[in-house]
Amino acid sequence: MSASTLSRRHLLQTLGAGSLGLAALPLAGCALPSAFADGGEGDAADDELTFLISNLDGGWVPSKSAISSYEANVWQQLTDKLVHTDADGVVSPWIAESWEQDADSTEFVLHLREGVTFSDGTPLDAAAVLANLESWAVGRPDDGLAPVGLFPGGTYEGAEALDPLTVRVTFTAPTLSFLPTLGYHGCQLMAPASIAASLEEQSDLANQIGSGPFVLDTWAGNDHVRLVRREDYDWAPEVLGASGPATLSAITFRVLPDDTLRASAARAGQTDIAYNVNPQVLDSFTEAGFVIEVPRYLGFVHGFSLRTNVAPFDDVRVRQAVTRGIDRDEILRTVFTDAWESATSWLQAGVPETTDLTELFAYDPGLAAQLLDEAGWTDRTEDGFRSKDGTELGFTIYPTPYLTGSVPEAELISQHLGRLGIRVSTQRLDIPTWTERVTNNPEQGISPVTRSFVDVGTVAGVITDEGEDWFAVGTSDEELVRLRDEVAGAADHDERAAIVEQLSRHVLEQAYFIPLEQNVQRIYVQSPQLSGITFNAVAIPSYHAARKDPS
Amino acid sequence: MSTTATLPESTEAPRRTVRSSRGLLGAAVGRSAQALVVIVLAYVLVFLVLAAIPGDPVSAQLDNPQAGFSDAEKARIRSFHGLDQPVLVQLVVSLGHAVQGDLGLSMATSQPVTQVIGAAIPSTLRLAVTALVLAVALAAALGLATRLLPEGRLNDLVRSLPTLFLSTPNFLIGLVLIQVLAVQLGLFSLVDSEGFASTVAAALTLAIPVSAQIAQVFITALDESAGQDYAEVALARGLPPAQVVLRHLLRPSLLPTVTVVGLVIGEVLGGSLITETIFGRAGIGMVVQKAVATQDVSVLLAAVVLSALVFVVVNLVIDLLYLLLDPRLRPSEVSR
Repeated sequence: MSASTLSRRHLLQTLGAGSLGLAALPLAGCALPSAFADGGEGDAADDELTFLISNLDGGWVPSKSAISSYEANVWQQLTDKLVHTDADGVVSPWIAESWEQDADSTEFVLHLREGVTFSDGTPLDAAAVLANLESWAVGRPDDGLAPVGLFPGGTYEGAEALDPLTVRVTFTAPTLSFLPTLGYHGCQLMAPASIAASLEEQSDLANQIGSGPFVLDTWAGNDHVRLVRREDYDWAPEVLGASGPATLSAITFRVLPDDTLRASAARAGQTDIAYNVNPQVLDSFTEAGFVIEVPRYLGFVHGFSLRTNVAPFDDVRVRQAVTRGIDRDEILRTVFTDAWESATSWLQAGVPETTDLTELFAYDPGLAAQLLDEAGWTDRTEDGFRSKDGTELGFTIYPTPYLTGSVPEAELISQHLGRLGIRVSTQRLDIPTWTERVTNNPEQGISPVTRSFVDVGTVAGVITDEGEDWFAVGTSDEELVRLRDEVAGAADHDERAAIVEQLSRHVLEQAYFIPLEQNVQRIYVQSPQLSGITFNAVAIPSYHAARKDPS
Repeated sequence: MSTTATLPESTEAPRRTVRSSRGLLGAAVGRSAQALVVIVLAYVLVFLVLAAIPGDPVSAQLDNPQAGFSDAEKARIRSFHGLDQPVLVQLVVSLGHAVQGDLGLSMATSQPVTQVIGAAIPSTLRLAVTALVLAVALAAALGLATRLLPEGRLNDLVRSLPTLFLSTPNFLIGLVLIQVLAVQLGLFSLVDSEGFASTVAAALTLAIPVSAQIAQVFITALDESAGQDYAEVALARGLPPAQVVLRHLLRPSLLPTVTVVGLVIGEVLGGSLITETIFGRAGIGMVVQKAVATQDVSVLLAAVVLSALVFVVVNLVIDLLYLLLDPRLRPSEVSR
């Protein structure tokens, strides 16, 4: 037998044994610690909560992910806010136990609760609040750290500590939105050390110190975050209905990207909460005894803003025809469930200043056809679509990637408008491409809107070219400009409510905005054993008072 | 005992690629240099392709309609990330940092890319190695069954299984396993994706199509060995079929089978990407999928470099294994 044969045989034997040994390592590695955990989360202790979420890939830099529909679920349990703003826009004390504001709403004095600390022991006092206000209003853009977008940084002048528990905040112009915005999910209170950290340091959730009812136990990439109860927590807002530490001992947020798997896991009893499953399967969960929460946040309804400098939306009759040509009831019946409701304005029904203006955009295909005829779209192409001067009437809708159900909804709208002779194409895009092709594209005439706000003053910042100019009217619509200035300058809530109604009526009469349905961006399929969960103004849950009934 | 008759065509390839009279070390150095060039080219190519695609995660976040940043704030943050520089400048800076081991920060999460990738590797390795073991075991079982089962319908059925496995998409296998084993029978948890049973289920999803390729080669090699004179003599001597297979057919059939196992490693790693997505495992596949969805250039670049590195190393190891396994392929013997 030659040496080479021996060598080959030996090598083959070694390879076989080696591969088995190598294989045994990872198998053993995951077997020993995990074998008992398999099936595990569903068998979690009675005071532990498992929450399946589609992703946690937005990172842990608060200015990036605090307003995310995903990470916000975690942040809400780790942090507190100065005030609590509920689903009806009502502001109540939290870390700020009281406040005063001057007559023109340019100066606010916040009185802080005594004895509050961050989980690293640092006091949550006036100095900490000043550091937070600075990060929300100004940020550190040169270090890659953005301010909080919806904080009224444009009129923010500064803040000072009057004593260790009192802060005065001043603005250069009336800023009614200041107080409710303190309850906005972007305005979460972080320890000064966390705020001072670099962008890279802030990306590590372990470096993010809050004062909330839970603290971080472990986290791993886009896999999971486990929080445990903070035993000395005793400053929950009264409106949550519980004091002292949280009832639950731990919460595990586990990432499972596929919505059908999240639904399957819920059905199999492997999770307490499954986030954002397909609306069309919700009825089956309800029948099986699950609790479906579809909290609506304050803000704009789901709808389309139309750019009036882009054909065919440069003709008000076409805009009105498109508005009147959409059968919202059929959308609700077909795409969503009974938990969804039709829009009554361009603002969510929960916004205190909203009035029912449904008559301005209700489904009326006869009127829509008449408007198109009047606009001269009377010829027909070979495919049966309307045309004028050889141009076919049509456009493309890119459904928002931020909303579950937006794609079938757009396809249904395409059918509705197709019956009127309007060719509507739909195309689904990922978020970066959607941002590029819709948000940043001045030639895209129709743009989906799903935006939250906690104060109606936000509308002044989006409607003309002194803001985002959603409708591309610039200053050409004098009535719109007048109403914008009055909303922005209002120092009194009642006075502003009347102006908001005029503004809403004008926007809908001009068909600048096509309302669809009350915006539901977050869907929670919950085990019937859960109770005590509350949602804030932006539809984010608090689990401080949540409990699991072992039965 | 000669193995010449059992060598598949694919094992002849290294004969063409190993040149001159350089030794094993020389061949390894040459291969490594080629690998380095491949990796750098992959890096540059991916960077340029991604730069040509509109949008980036920083802009996507800043332009998020929920955010409401001013143009000045957006410009300053983009400048921090170097996105205001010409593409070629960005490429040179990025490549310069990369060669020093600094892969930068994820543009989506701001975490160091090395941490993002490093945290995902163990999950992928666990899945891939488990899948490879299962694939080998499954292929071995199928191959041996074809020799041990009497000729007939059952044998034909076993012989047709690799084709069936190969033509079944692994996402379908995964979904069926999830529905039946996890949802209906509760044998593994969808929530704890890194647990033992979950890992085995995911690995099985990946292993079934991969095992088909190994089984096809193994069965062919066994059949060829069975046609050799020594095998017929062994049977004529009255040895039981099982002993003939284990003592006379198995060993000569292993060389081409080991070759194929090496070749499918890349496929196992590639298939991990899909399987991880199906089972929600936070491995490299999930990282890549998220990076693609968010155009996280820095993470994608790192993932591409890692993939190129793995493939290059696997190919290098296979080439060197050929030289060790078959003396006829060694440089000195090629040049003779």
